[in-house]
Amino acid sequence: MEGLDLESVIERARGHEAEALGELYRRYVRRVFGLCRCMLNSRESAEDATSEVFLKLQRSIESYDVSIPFPRWLLRVAGNHCIDLLRHQGRGRQVIVEVEDEATVIEAPSAQPSPLGAVMSKEERAQVRNAVASLPDKYRLPLTLRYYSELSYDEIAEQLDLERNHVAALIFRAKQQLRRKLAHGSK
Amino acid sequence: MECYSEQTCAIFVDGELAADEGRCLRDHLATCPRCRKLVDALRAENRVLGESLHELAEEPAPFRRGRRSWVWGDLATLAAVLALGSICSAWIDRLRIPEGLEWFNPFSTSGLMNLIFNFSYYFAQGGTAMLADYAAVVGGLFLLGGGALVLGRRWRLHKPVLHLLIVVFALSLPSFAIERRHGEFVTVAANETVDDTLLAAGKTVRVEGVVNGDLLVFGRSLEVRGRVKGDLVSFARTTAVSGTVEGRIYNFSQSLDMDGELGHSIYAWVQSLRVDNRGRVGDSIVCGAGDVSLEGEVKRSATIFAGNAEVSGSIGRDLDMAGGSLTLTNTARVGGNLRARVHQSKDVQVAAGATIAGRRDIQVHVRENQFTRPRFYFHQAVWLGAAMLVGWLGLVLFPGFFQACTQAVGSGWRSLGLGIGVLATVPLSIVVAAVTLVGLPVALMLLAAYLAAIYLAKIWVGAFLGRVLLKPAGATKRDWLVGLLVGLLVLTIVGFIPYLGGLIRLLIICLGLGAFAWQLYRSSRPTIAA
Repeated sequence: MEGLDLESVIERARGHEAEALGELYRRYVRRVFGLCRCMLNSRESAEDATSEVFLKLQRSIESYDVSIPFPRWLLRVAGNHCIDLLRHQGRGRQVIVEVEDEATVIEAPSAQPSPLGAVMSKEERAQVRNAVASLPDKYRLPLTLRYYSELSYDEIAEQLDLERNHVAALIFRAKQQLRRKLAHGSK
Repeated sequence: MECYSEQTCAIFVDGELAADEGRCLRDHLATCPRCRKLVDALRAENRVLGESLHELAEEPAPFRRGRRSWVWGDLATLAAVLALGSICSAWIDRLRIPEGLEWFNPFSTSGLMNLIFNFSYYFAQGGTAMLADYAAVVGGLFLLGGGALVLGRRWRLHKPVLHLLIVVFALSLPSFAIERRHGEFVTVAANETVDDTLLAAGKTVRVEGVVNGDLLVFGRSLEVRGRVKGDLVSFARTTAVSGTVEGRIYNFSQSLDMDGELGHSIYAWVQSLRVDNRGRVGDSIVCGAGDVSLEGEVKRSATIFAGNAEVSGSIGRDLDMAGGSLTLTNTARVGGNLRARVHQSKDVQVAAGATIAGRRDIQVHVRENQFTRPRFYFHQAVWLGAAMLVGWLGLVLFPGFFQACTQAVGSGWRSLGLGIGVLATVPLSIVVAAVTLVGLPVALMLLAAYLAAIYLAKIWVGAFLGRVLLKPAGATKRDWLVGLLVGLLVLTIVGFIPYLGGLIRLLIICLGLGAFAWQLYRSSRPTIAA
């Protein structure tokens, strides 16, 4: 099964072949787990969510649209699942509440290089991940969906039930916060 | 042309700017070195962000969870424990301890109940601080014992918890000789003899015949007119004993009226306790009650914690009372010392004709403002230090479980609801397990675990509150402990608010217990390695 191309594996998985489903698990479990970990901010919750996503996959793979790259589709399923979990924790409220006229921090472009822009060592990249983990949900979720799942603003807006412009603003503010945290941490 | 804002440039770098605006921005970049530099910096930023997050995919993947399936090992374990439990039950059943030593034996029902009632009395005297102290000791022992077991290896709370539950279930089997009756009216007729321990549940339970074992009753009202050769344990709303109970009475009800014969002691937690002038108690009385009236005879001592107590009968030895008011009428006889702790000296009325053979020790307990005493602050600091130590130990020995419990507090209503359920049902389970005799060790273990969980509840809620308030950058042990310190300080202060403080403490216990129960359930789900 390892040597087979992805299309063949998916085709067999649609027929509920256990080995094919196992192969999909083997190939993508880390990516899905990484997304869940970043979105849910807890290893235990991420482990549960990962299992549930792959259980869902067994049921929903028949509805997979081949025009979408499979990893992208799978990460979208995982992202939706995590958002559902967060919504459930918040007792049915929207995960991110859209507030009109939310004050935007407009900062002049800094002449100094962003702490995020420098080439980084492994430890520094770990610091970036910790800083992302410490962001509040409203910033961390769209940031993760953009730079981990590589979803477009429209796709993120659809998943989070927000306006596109609001997603853009949240991602921008998330990066501003990250810069502040990393700059503060480096002092 | 004016430069574009940083946000617009960021959207452009993400490839999300509208086509027209993107073209204009590209044209502007050709002529503006400042904006070109900004866009390059934003691209580098995006690249590092993407690389950093994608390294999450390089972390070890979780184990694959499979469907839970009964394995032969579980069945074999269950069968072995059932067999062992049965052998132990038969052996324990044949044991006979000399009657005179029963009160001393902590593994006998009477010894245990003696311990529980005296504990309850002294707890009422000492306040909640006492419960915290006891729970801290039990919690500490529990943690140390658990730590000794798991030190040096990674312990996943899966199958061991499942097996423990099997053991608890198997050893909680009822003892062999129990007869059960339930219905709206449960009666043991006058000419009837029950040769076993009788467990009766009903609206009205009436015993006119003979019960050769113990009598355990749940219901609205209980009348004992016949004879019970063992002990009487009553959870009925009203209990009236006009017959004979050769053992002890353990009573948790609204009212207990005793005008019959009792061979040993009364242990009662009631609203109203009355020993009629025909009533005879062969040993002692230990009770917590709203109103107590002793008109009959108590052969030994009476230890009473009551709102109002009136003694007009005779007490063979000492009379200890703490609470609201105490009245000894002219016919009252106390063969030993009289000790009373009340709020005002006028709350103790001793009639001229009352006889007290020993000393009279009446203590007026004036409630001082605890906040003016340095000892109070020292005690709080010690308590806080102990809680921090227990929290640190727990985090070191069970990091995943402790942090997960902290997180589970945040689920709010689920934790609260679960916690209320656990708080209410576990003591009942303990008592039911204890009275089955073979379940006594289990009852003791459950009690220890229950007290430990109550103590740890504050730690989990404190840690959660600390995280909410401080919003730490990372999730290191240090962050958790700092959050715990802040959270515990806040909870301690809030707990001293008049009237509300007690309710807040109760809410904290429920939240923490619920989070613990939920996490225990989640941890018990098995995993299968991929």
